[in-house]
Amino acid sequence: MRFLVSGGPEAIARARAPVRVLLVFGALALAALAAQRVLQGGLSPAGVEAHYLAVGQPMPAAALWEEVHAGAFLYGFLLFVLASLLVVSPVPARARTALLAVAFVATLADLFAPFAVIAAGGGGGLRVATFVLAAGALAAHVAVAAVAFGRNGGNGGNGRG
Amino acid sequence: MVDPRLTPFRGPALAFAAYLAVQAGSAAVLFASKLGTTPGQVAEFYLGSEERFAAPRSLPGLLEVAVPHLLAVPLVLFAAAHVVGYARALGRRGFVALLATSFGSAAAGIAAGFLVRFVAPELAWLKLVAFAGLEASLLAWAGLLFAIFAPFGERSRGSAPQGAGAALR
Repeated sequence: MRFLVSGGPEAIARARAPVRVLLVFGALALAALAAQRVLQGGLSPAGVEAHYLAVGQPMPAAALWEEVHAGAFLYGFLLFVLASLLVVSPVPARARTALLAVAFVATLADLFAPFAVIAAGGGGGLRVATFVLAAGALAAHVAVAAVAFGRNGGNGGNGRG
Repeated sequence: MVDPRLTPFRGPALAFAAYLAVQAGSAAVLFASKLGTTPGQVAEFYLGSEERFAAPRSLPGLLEVAVPHLLAVPLVLFAAAHVVGYARALGRRGFVALLATSFGSAAAGIAAGFLVRFVAPELAWLKLVAFAGLEASLLAWAGLLFAIFAPFGERSRGSAPQGAGAALR
């Protein structure tokens, strides 16, 4: 965050290359997460229910909390880094805030949706929806950051007082 | 907010603080449900129990937990400390003390599992103390981020500085 806050246009220009690589890995992480969900049947309500409510035996709470624990690291870190990069993008502040709000709520809902699926004994569509929304919002962050950091030059001065 | 240049980063920092709290909360639930809350329960988790038909933890099993934590925990602490340190929200002594507690607890917690299993089961208390220290540290970092970035009680300063936001325009 330091180079974003006080580095100035030159520092940000120098950061373009590593940021681009980081964004490639961010996109790969999202793609891998999506593939993992697909393999678990996570893109269909029936698949989600089969995963969490297999043969009438719900997944143990400890396993659900392990998913939350690992997911909180992935989502939390990705969101923090990507949303910080968006601060120096040309996206208006309101749009940025809205995108971050959607991503934050969707990722948090995605982490805790399995508890709702198990409590309700169904409703796998909720997890599908939260994942599509969460992955979409994070992918939008990656795309916007890629556009902002993909351009060479074009620094309009940082206008910092 | 200490430094107005941080204003544009309010959203990302608050989201990160919330996720720190989720990580701390989920870790507490997992620790209590899997390892237990007393030194005896912790030692039993690592050494196994004939009465409960629980096998001792294997070295590959311990490493499977330790390796991702050796990357993730320092990374999270570094990111949180980086922002809090930049904002100068704590005095130098307090900042260093919190850093030492955080990283020390993380290291001790990871090492304690191996120590209980292979060196001295009596060190189960170390696992508990280290975990409590890390949990308190995570919550402290999250609380500090919230205190720095939350808009509550902040008087209007006019529009946010354009510095960071204009850099790539």
